[in-house]
Amino acid sequence: MKNRSVTLTLILVVAILALMPFSVIRADGHCEFADEAIKIGGLVPLSAPGSVGGGVAMSWAFNRAVDDINADCGVQIGDQNYRLQIVIGDSEGSPERGQAVVERFILEDEVHAVSGVYHSAVGLATMGILDENGVPTVFSEPWNDNVSANGIMEYDGRPPRNADGVDHIFRISPASSMVGSVVVDWLLAEGVEDIVIIAENTDYGQPAAADELARFEAAGATVTQINVELGTEDFVPILSRIQARESAPDVVRILVTGETSFNLTQQMAELGIAPTEDTICVTNQFAFQSEQYWENVPDGNYCTFNRVGIIPSLFSDIAIGLNEAYFEEFEDIIPSFAMASYDALHIIADGMERAGTMSDGAAIVEAIESTDLDLSQGRYYFEYGNHNPDLPEGTPAFMWHQWPDPVVTMMQYFEPGQSSLDAAVIFPEVYQTHGTGYMAPGESP
Amino acid sequence: MVIEDTLFILWLMVAGPLWAAVGLYLLPNLNHNRSEKDQLPVTQLQIAGVIGGFALGPIGVGLFYFEPHLIRRTTIAAGIIVTVFVSSQVLVRVVEPNLPSVLWLVLAGPLWAALAAYFIPRQYRMVEADDQNVLTAAALGGFAIGPLIFGLMWKHTPKISRDWMIILGSLGAWQIYTVFAINNPDNLCVAAPFHVTYLTQQTANGVVIGAIYSLMAVGLTLIYSVQGIVSFAHGQLYMVGGYFSFYFLMFGANFLSDLTGTEVTINPLWGIPVAAVIVFVMGAAFERAFLKPMHDGLIERVSEYAILITFGFGFFIEYTTLAIAGPFPQRTGRFIEIRRFTLQRTQITDDFAFGPINIIGDRVFAMIIGIVLIFALLYFLQRTWTGRGLRATSQDKQAAAVAGINPTNMNTLSFALGSMLAAMSGAALIPIFAWVPWVGAEMVGRSYVIVVLGGLGSVPGALVGGIIVGIVEALGAGCHPDPSKGAAYKEAFALVIFALVLLLKPTGLFGREQH
Repeated sequence: MKNRSVTLTLILVVAILALMPFSVIRADGHCEFADEAIKIGGLVPLSAPGSVGGGVAMSWAFNRAVDDINADCGVQIGDQNYRLQIVIGDSEGSPERGQAVVERFILEDEVHAVSGVYHSAVGLATMGILDENGVPTVFSEPWNDNVSANGIMEYDGRPPRNADGVDHIFRISPASSMVGSVVVDWLLAEGVEDIVIIAENTDYGQPAAADELARFEAAGATVTQINVELGTEDFVPILSRIQARESAPDVVRILVTGETSFNLTQQMAELGIAPTEDTICVTNQFAFQSEQYWENVPDGNYCTFNRVGIIPSLFSDIAIGLNEAYFEEFEDIIPSFAMASYDALHIIADGMERAGTMSDGAAIVEAIESTDLDLSQGRYYFEYGNHNPDLPEGTPAFMWHQWPDPVVTMMQYFEPGQSSLDAAVIFPEVYQTHGTGYMAPGESP
Repeated sequence: MVIEDTLFILWLMVAGPLWAAVGLYLLPNLNHNRSEKDQLPVTQLQIAGVIGGFALGPIGVGLFYFEPHLIRRTTIAAGIIVTVFVSSQVLVRVVEPNLPSVLWLVLAGPLWAALAAYFIPRQYRMVEADDQNVLTAAALGGFAIGPLIFGLMWKHTPKISRDWMIILGSLGAWQIYTVFAINNPDNLCVAAPFHVTYLTQQTANGVVIGAIYSLMAVGLTLIYSVQGIVSFAHGQLYMVGGYFSFYFLMFGANFLSDLTGTEVTINPLWGIPVAAVIVFVMGAAFERAFLKPMHDGLIERVSEYAILITFGFGFFIEYTTLAIAGPFPQRTGRFIEIRRFTLQRTQITDDFAFGPINIIGDRVFAMIIGIVLIFALLYFLQRTWTGRGLRATSQDKQAAAVAGINPTNMNTLSFALGSMLAAMSGAALIPIFAWVPWVGAEMVGRSYVIVVLGGLGSVPGALVGGIIVGIVEALGAGCHPDPSKGAAYKEAFALVIFALVLLLKPTGLFGREQH
């Protein structure tokens, strides 16, 4: 009897040991996937002259989203689970190259949806092709207003995309005008009257500068705009012009991205143009990546910058987890475009699940229009689309298929080497973290 | 337009050239009553006449005519300065553009330049005179002083020295400045009284950055002069030099910090020799492995091979660096803890103050490094046996081999040295610019312009070319009436100079003729 129980015990142990690997698979990869995978095209810049840093961060976020979605049984359509697969394409920041990659996505890779796009010029050049081919697309970073404004109406000389009744393009990054209004509102609240805008010569920089210029001028302020080429390293001759003015401007606003913005901000600080007692420095959202910022702009203390995305103190669990993983990989704070890229894939996957299809573009678009998801940047929904096509009077055209709630704040460093997680949120007032709307050099909260 | 300004422009356009013509005619007569040994060169007298007439009208001509001992290089240079200064001071008061005078300057200058460039060299060849640099001088002179250039060069066919080029070039620049001043009276580069400070500021910006550009270009010109090939990996060697410095400083500081238990930082100056040594070895290894077969006659299409193999080397370096260092911009600490040097504002007269002039501290330091390294290279090339060997190889490989110089070793040395100079340039600039793996692209394009401008193969030419490119870019970006266009066309301004030099002096400013 005893021998028998020992034998049974041994058999049980052996059986458990033998089944353990299978049980691990079931626990870890606890679902069966269909043979076919859902392919998502991720269009990002991975070579110069594109913003390679942005592209790498977005690629990382896509892969992270794919891993998370697949770990959660992928995309369930009917009674089948489909593995998500990301196909990365390098736009090089060039519209022509972006179009070629999108055509490859459609014809060779046969992707079911597309996301990404860092540069507005690439977004504007590819959105027509994507729409014509019925590819549901969620852009995660281009800011140009026209990306969403062309959904329903002729805008800026371009015909509307949804002439056939379905527009396949969505955007979850803010439109330039949404950012511009926050920056301008804050600066006007600070009482500035004489503004210098330095803008990059791109489909991001020029419309953004035009929008801010119009807002400033409507408020009676004087604006001088200087356009620069992306990739310029030496700005001293241009900055000497500002220094030679009879009176220092109240603010220098930088609408330039990537390492070019770092060079510009640092040279401006080195020459003593801004930030100073007289002149506010407003640089761009790249400053939020504090490790890079301080390494490249060591004199940039007291510069302010616009930040897209929820403020660090309000990070959700998803955002905290994503930020930790990003920090482990890149030793820096996660930028908004990486968070948006992560979220974009979830929105597409959710849309496909609810539509019950991965290939019917119109059905997926209809499902995405009714998105209601809490992700790393907050709650996603699209207020205006075919489900609610009538934009009220005064609502800008870019609100079509546009996530209406990207949080845009103004932040400011007030200690050299400070982490952006500790930097002061200075505007809007409701988000202020240090009880101040601006600190002049030398002041502390 | 106020009447005084009209008269002044008339004086400049009519009386200036008129008195210059009088001077041109009168002053050569000074030799008539002199013994042969006391006679002054006719060319010198003609130039003195033209400059004296242009600068001070009858006073200038009279001064030189009655006091010929005043005819010296310094007085002629002073005459040019007076001309430019006086005319610019008055022209800035012009309140409306004067179309006829602008047309005269814009149309007549190029017209006379074209005529002079066409006819005068033919005249030289017809009388079998030395026609070196005549085309350039004729074109410059036609632009600067219109038909008067025929008076200077047609009959006497003088030998064209560097002084000719400098004087005619200065006058041409003055013409352009005059047109600009008439059309843009409020421009920072023109509007008194601040324009002197502003021009000095922009020129200083240009000199500082230009000297830094030169260091990189010198490497390119060294490789070309010895090997006869253009290295298309030069931008990437510049970039990787910066990264070697960056990683040396980072790991070195970490190592020393761990060793001493306190936080240690290393001055970026130490990164320069480290980058130099590593890239020297890289360059030598690449040359031995991939370029030597070309010189050994193992490659059929040598030119194409050199382009492709150096291109490939550049791509390999760039993408390897991207894989290792990543795409995010990096930068080292400062050379010196002085953010900027400032020459404070000084009140010279009641109406005129000079300053302030600001130059970023690290740039001044990098400029000094660049100039020291270029002079060290010049010393090496001129005063050491190996340097002379390099020069000899660049002139005639077979003759050098007969003299006991090993051309193979010289080829390797030239490529390694050229690469090393690019790397040192990168290591000197990583404290100044945000560094990314594609940072060399913009810089290398400028280097090609500099070496062709200075003369392919000429080290002093690269230095002067770099400074000219720096100044032209700074003045172009700083003086263009539209700040946005000035910023956007910054590199194009240097390309205009580049195109003009190619047109007028294809060998570059210091290049030697190929026979």
